[in-house]
Amino acid sequence: MPGIDECLLEAMSLPGARGAWLVDWTSGLALGSAGESPVGDHETTAAESAELARAAAEFESPTADSPASGASAADAVLPEPAAAPVEDLIVTTRAGYHVFRFVETAFDSSVCLHLWLDRSTGNLALARIRLGDLARRLVLG
Amino acid sequence: MTATATATPVSPMLTRLAAERATGALLRDHGTLYLVDGRVVHAESPESPGVDVLLTAAGRLPREGWDEAVDRAGALGAVGRFLVDSGRLHDGELEICHLGAVFDAAFFALAPAGGPTRFRYGVGHWFGTVRPVDTGAVERETLRRRELLDSVWPYPAVDRAPVVPRPAAPGQPVGARQRTLLAAADGFRTPADLARLLGRPAFHTFLDVRRLAAAGLVETPYEAPPPPPPPVPAWIGEAVATTPDPDIALLRRLRDALEAAL
Repeated sequence: MPGIDECLLEAMSLPGARGAWLVDWTSGLALGSAGESPVGDHETTAAESAELARAAAEFESPTADSPASGASAADAVLPEPAAAPVEDLIVTTRAGYHVFRFVETAFDSSVCLHLWLDRSTGNLALARIRLGDLARRLVLG
Repeated sequence: MTATATATPVSPMLTRLAAERATGALLRDHGTLYLVDGRVVHAESPESPGVDVLLTAAGRLPREGWDEAVDRAGALGAVGRFLVDSGRLHDGELEICHLGAVFDAAFFALAPAGGPTRFRYGVGHWFGTVRPVDTGAVERETLRRRELLDSVWPYPAVDRAPVVPRPAAPGQPVGARQRTLLAAADGFRTPADLARLLGRPAFHTFLDVRRLAAAGLVETPYEAPPPPPPPVPAWIGEAVATTPDPDIALLRRLRDALEAAL
């Protein structure tokens, strides 16, 4: 049963990992951080990644499993989708990859794991799979 | 951001207590911070939902499960630990939920307000230590949150007023979490009421309501009107009333002169 620090350390053990954060994407709070930061300070990184993650989390493509996306907010009680529509978000820069994985909790929360990988040494496919696994184990033990 | 925090510490007393690695409770107007060895281990405020509300509102933990944990481990000051050891919660869940509640309560506890700040040495909290946080991090986050609220929509009145939804424009996107919030807004509940109902931190609800207000999806109440300008001094009325016979000819000449000049 890993806690936040164990989870981030495990993420940092992935090849090419440079930094890892657990971010509350509503408020921009850094719940935990490990490694280095692309902007020199973990709290600023978390606040910035929160903005990205929030845009993704609130993004609803008109897919078959989200029929409510076209309805207006005035329709009051809309059925909540069983799972978050977006699983992860990948941002590629010239020097690195940023993988954001949404963490689903059984209580109301808005957190995601953010992993920064070096582009030349990182393995994006592996990182994506392992981050999904970590996000599950963080809350399910 | 760090520079701001150094220039204007949220609470000079907190900085001093961190330096002397104090253990105890910092009591302020809007909440209490609990320190162990100069680090923040817990915080609570009447304005923000506690860990119990966050966990039970969405059904993660039955209320009886929480009560039993408090009964059995409260006296030992290790409720958080007990929730994990008895298999009710996982480590990660406890840390996520507790940190969220601590930063939320600290935001209100460290709100700029007059009133006395007291520190009671040696006082601990029955929840126990989960993940201590540096006082500097708590202060920086509190300042960041204040600035964030005002950068989103600089009308603090929406934080306290009942949330009144407005119809969305055609095609205007509304996120799933914000839809849940709007669905629960019945025109009477304030953001703090909604936070308790939905089991979300109060600051998160304030922030979402400000975002919704900025998007025009929630009414922004009028701020208290500025005080009316001072009335005309009484002597003017008296002077007018007591002047028996205004000089009509003089007033006419004055008017003509003004019209000619304009």
